[in-house]
Amino acid sequence: MHDGSITIRIGAAVHEIERLNRCVRQFGELHEVPGRTLYAVNLALDELVSNVILYGYDNPHGEEITVKVLVEGDHLHATVEDGGREFDPHTAPPVDLDAPLAKRQVGGLGIHLVRSLMDGMEYKRSDSKNVLTLRKKIR
Amino acid sequence: METTESKIGEVYEVTVQGHLDTASSQAFEDRLVRLIEGGERHLLLECSGMGYVNSSGLKAILVGAKQMDSVAGKFVVCGLVPSVYGIFEMIGFTRILSIFPTREEALRQMQPDGAAA
Repeated sequence: MHDGSITIRIGAAVHEIERLNRCVRQFGELHEVPGRTLYAVNLALDELVSNVILYGYDNPHGEEITVKVLVEGDHLHATVEDGGREFDPHTAPPVDLDAPLAKRQVGGLGIHLVRSLMDGMEYKRSDSKNVLTLRKKIR
Repeated sequence: METTESKIGEVYEVTVQGHLDTASSQAFEDRLVRLIEGGERHLLLECSGMGYVNSSGLKAILVGAKQMDSVAGKFVVCGLVPSVYGIFEMIGFTRILSIFPTREEALRQMQPDGAAA
């Protein structure tokens, strides 16, 4: 692995997610991050950015989301920054994995995946922005 | 994402190809619901070409499975690639959905009388 970072700015639009994932994958390959770590980080970023685009704004048109990925030693950090409405994913209720099919809630799956895929998640609200940092041990 | 559909005996098979993600999941969910509302009671999702799924795609599958459950039909998933199967496990779907490794096993389970596969 090689230390390094990349900052990617995308428009708040669903079609931009694929470009984000492509950029992260290329950056990760260049820095020799293992495929399964990259897969997990890309899926977590997809979940968070999708949430912002779908629920963060009254009208996402013209809004921008900034994603920064940093490889440092044996950890990868990814930060998502957006100017959408305040949302701390820690406040999302957990998914009841033991509920039978008929009683399974259809919401909340994305945040559950992010929690499961990552080793840590920190949220702060700063300058009217949501700043969410994910941490993943590279293995 | 692309889907192809075919009917084999009683089984309505939907083959998913590509990424089931935020961009494609709503149309997919609507299609599943319409098929069940239209009377299909044996739905098979063949996923060997589905390389990626996110929570909106998982939600679409869950909505379809719940809808089918409410009319006592069969909703079966087969052919999940290992990375996608891992996500199904993580979200608890392997406990609540009927999942088979291969299409042949799924069809055998759905058509115990051995109708054409």
